Amino acid sequence: MGQSPVGGRPRASKGPLFDPSFLQRLETLNLIARQLVRGRRSAARPSIKKGASIEFKDYREYSPGDDPRSVDWMAFARLGELYIKLFRQEEELDLWVLLDRSASMDFGDPSKFDHARRIAAALAYIGLGNMDSASILPFDTDLRTGLERMRGKGQVMRLMKFMEDMTIGAETGFEKTAQMFVSRVRRPGIVVIISDFYGLQKARAGLDRLRFAKHQVHVVQVVSPWERNPPLRGELRLHDAETGEETNLTITDSMLKRYKTAFQAFTTDLRKYAMRSSIGFDLTDTDVEFDEFVRHVLQHGRLLA
Amino acid sequence: MMLLAPMALWFLVIGGAVVALYLLKIKRRAATVPVLEFWLALAGKTRVHSLFDRLKRLLSMLLWLIIVICLVLAIGNPIFSLGRIKPRAIAVIIDNSASMQAVEPASESRTRFDLARQALREISGNRPVTDEWMLIEAGREPRVLQPWTFDTAAIRRAGDAVEPFSGAAKLHDAIELASQLIAGKQDPCIVIISDGAAGELAPLTAADDRLIHWPIGTTHDNAGIGQLAVRAHRQNGNYHALISVVNASDEPLETQVTLEIDGRTDSVELVSAEPGGTWEKSIVIDAPAGGVLRASLDRADALAVDNEAFAILEPIRPAVVWLVTPTDSAFFFEQALASMDPLVWAEESLTLTPEQYPAASAAAAAPDSSLKRPDLVIFNGWAPDALPAVGRFMVVNACPAELGSPAGEALASPQIHLAPRAHPLMQHVSLQGSRLAKAKRITLRQPGRVLAHSAEGDPLIALIEQPERQTLLLTFDVLDSDLPFRNAFPLLLRNTVSFMHEDAPSWLRPAYRLGETIRPSRALPAGTTEAKLTLLRGGTTQESSVPVVNGSFALTQTHHTGAVRLEIGDDAAFAAMNIGDAAESRIAPVNATEDHAAKLGLSRRLLGGMPWLMLAMFASLAVVLEWLTYHFRWTE
Repeated sequence: MGQSPVGGRPRASKGPLFDPSFLQRLETLNLIARQLVRGRRSAARPSIKKGASIEFKDYREYSPGDDPRSVDWMAFARLGELYIKLFRQEEELDLWVLLDRSASMDFGDPSKFDHARRIAAALAYIGLGNMDSASILPFDTDLRTGLERMRGKGQVMRLMKFMEDMTIGAETGFEKTAQMFVSRVRRPGIVVIISDFYGLQKARAGLDRLRFAKHQVHVVQVVSPWERNPPLRGELRLHDAETGEETNLTITDSMLKRYKTAFQAFTTDLRKYAMRSSIGFDLTDTDVEFDEFVRHVLQHGRLLA
Repeated sequence: MMLLAPMALWFLVIGGAVVALYLLKIKRRAATVPVLEFWLALAGKTRVHSLFDRLKRLLSMLLWLIIVICLVLAIGNPIFSLGRIKPRAIAVIIDNSASMQAVEPASESRTRFDLARQALREISGNRPVTDEWMLIEAGREPRVLQPWTFDTAAIRRAGDAVEPFSGAAKLHDAIELASQLIAGKQDPCIVIISDGAAGELAPLTAADDRLIHWPIGTTHDNAGIGQLAVRAHRQNGNYHALISVVNASDEPLETQVTLEIDGRTDSVELVSAEPGGTWEKSIVIDAPAGGVLRASLDRADALAVDNEAFAILEPIRPAVVWLVTPTDSAFFFEQALASMDPLVWAEESLTLTPEQYPAASAAAAAPDSSLKRPDLVIFNGWAPDALPAVGRFMVVNACPAELGSPAGEALASPQIHLAPRAHPLMQHVSLQGSRLAKAKRITLRQPGRVLAHSAEGDPLIALIEQPERQTLLLTFDVLDSDLPFRNAFPLLLRNTVSFMHEDAPSWLRPAYRLGETIRPSRALPAGTTEAKLTLLRGGTTQESSVPVVNGSFALTQTHHTGAVRLEIGDDAAFAAMNIGDAAESRIAPVNATEDHAAKLGLSRRLLGGMPWLMLAMFASLAVVLEWLTYHFRWTE
């Protein structure tokens, strides 16, 4: 489907979201991810917590209440002091994918929503194969029910079915979504938010909340060519896809020029905010294939780092 | 203001379309955007809600209406005048004479004729459509090129179709023709587009308020051959050419004129003339065989057509004279004729006795005879009773019965009295005091001209001219007088030979003016269907044929200087074609003393005579203004 007439709204294509080739492409991505994970996981993802594992980390003086099994009796024999042996604790690695299904995502060809679902499915698939658990949680005004803590590749068909059945929702309420997520998920994990991030100020508050909850946050901003260069000109009645609000506007060439500049600044501001806040950031256009984007994220991004 | 093309007003319906489009434009198209807030934050004050903003929209529509109106008026080709423009009947006379071919250096080397056609377009294009127009050509013969019409395009087309003409203009005839044709018309006027070289126009325009001279041209730089006339001197076997060169420029003329005969240079004459002056010279041309004489002026100037002229040199053939006389009285005439070389062709001339004459005459009339037919037969002391019906004769001391009859006793010692009117035969002949012993008293039976008579009025010398025959009658015996001892009689005899020896008159005149139609001066032989035509122009020749109908033809290819040769069988005739008017060489334009545009009603035109251009520019400005208001309104 091509671009809509001037002033119209680009509609999402109605083709199958996941076809057999999609799974093949996912498996290719999974192989890439596995290689990356093998090389990095043991050293690159140590827990700051000390726990029960075979890897020695440190000693500390014994305190009442400590497990007597952890006392180093050999040290006691040499030094006459009770010391507790500390071992590095191996932490479970959870992947949380928060997917924006607000109405503003229903733009472009393919639509930003379809593009985002494919990316989310790919990341979840990789998570199922390489991590302890993977979760998909859609959101719009708040956090919606999704698939939580899926383990193993046996969940793939369930994941696909869920993603296939996901529908467009209403307005975006990311701050509320983040608040709900933090209250529900206590253990830090990798949180990937896939959204267009309209209303950046509110989105920042939500991202900060996730960041403060010790989650490793990674944002994927989805934009469409339509948004970069909207074919709008003249006397228009603009309709807000999320709120339904309408307003009359005269869009001239000079205004379009300013729009393009402002849109560029919008994505740039989000990127700068992410860099300042140690949040991973990736920008994807809907005219870029999802697997190409995911491969780029795996190889160059910090998602698995 | 008047529109020269009022049909353009139909385009005003576009204005209605503009209003309709603006009304349609108010119905905004709907468009869905992901988030409206983003656009509102960006657009800021761009939303159209206020009355002020709506007025700005109205301004845009008004600007577009102004643009449409300006463009429609521009297409309509308006003219503005501070006064009221009334419809007029305008007869335009366009001068296409030779002087109008002068090249104007100040006008990108265009000819005056080109400028005249441009002036015609300008005049006809800047008058109201209610004017009635007519176009007259003033060159060759005044003629109406375009009858009265309201269609200015037809006038312009007719003007474009006029061909330049290398002859003299007939402006006065054209004005007279136009004056007749504008009679009864509403507010008529005659516009003469001319350099005025063909005649003084100022007095005419001053005398007649309807005449408007539209001057063309500025250059004076020209010198031309104003006249080239040739006369054959048979008695000397040569020609005298009179050539005059007109210097119409403001500078003294120092140049040379070259005379060529059949392409061979015969002589070169130095020419000098003061500004506005004329150089003239009579030149002897010794070329009895004749030919085409071309005179060319070695000077590059504004008008090239008058830098050459042509003349025809008819071959000079000596006369064959038969003297029919008794043997005892032949000596004096023989000696007199023998002294007339080269006028008399001695080798072919004969002296005959009266008895020999009939046989010789019959022999000469035979088709294959070696005897040449006599140009003049002199009968001395004897004459046949009946002269041949065709020929030229001199009868001395005799009188054929058909010409005169005896009227009594002979005149004794008559005194000679010359007729008061001079005749070529009597040129330089002084008979006063001559003594005649006696003379015949004769009464002429045919109308004749008495060149000398007795005191009683009896003819002594008489010329009887008939359609095919000329006879000079002398009623006295020359030998019985003292004339043999005087110069008078040999002079009379020489004049007679010269006068009587004329070739058969050509069926063409020796020279024609450019543009003049060449027709034969006498009927051509029956059964002739065409004449072979050879045009000599400069160094080139063109051959073709001219159809002959009912013994005549009309040759109109006379627009360029040169010579023409027409042949019908063995009979050939030459003629030269020249401008024939020294006034055409004086190309200095006549400056109009009046404001011709004002007189025609165009002087007070506003906006430089091109208001459509100003309107178009104003419309362009309005387009820019509208674009700016549209693209920068509400925000900047």
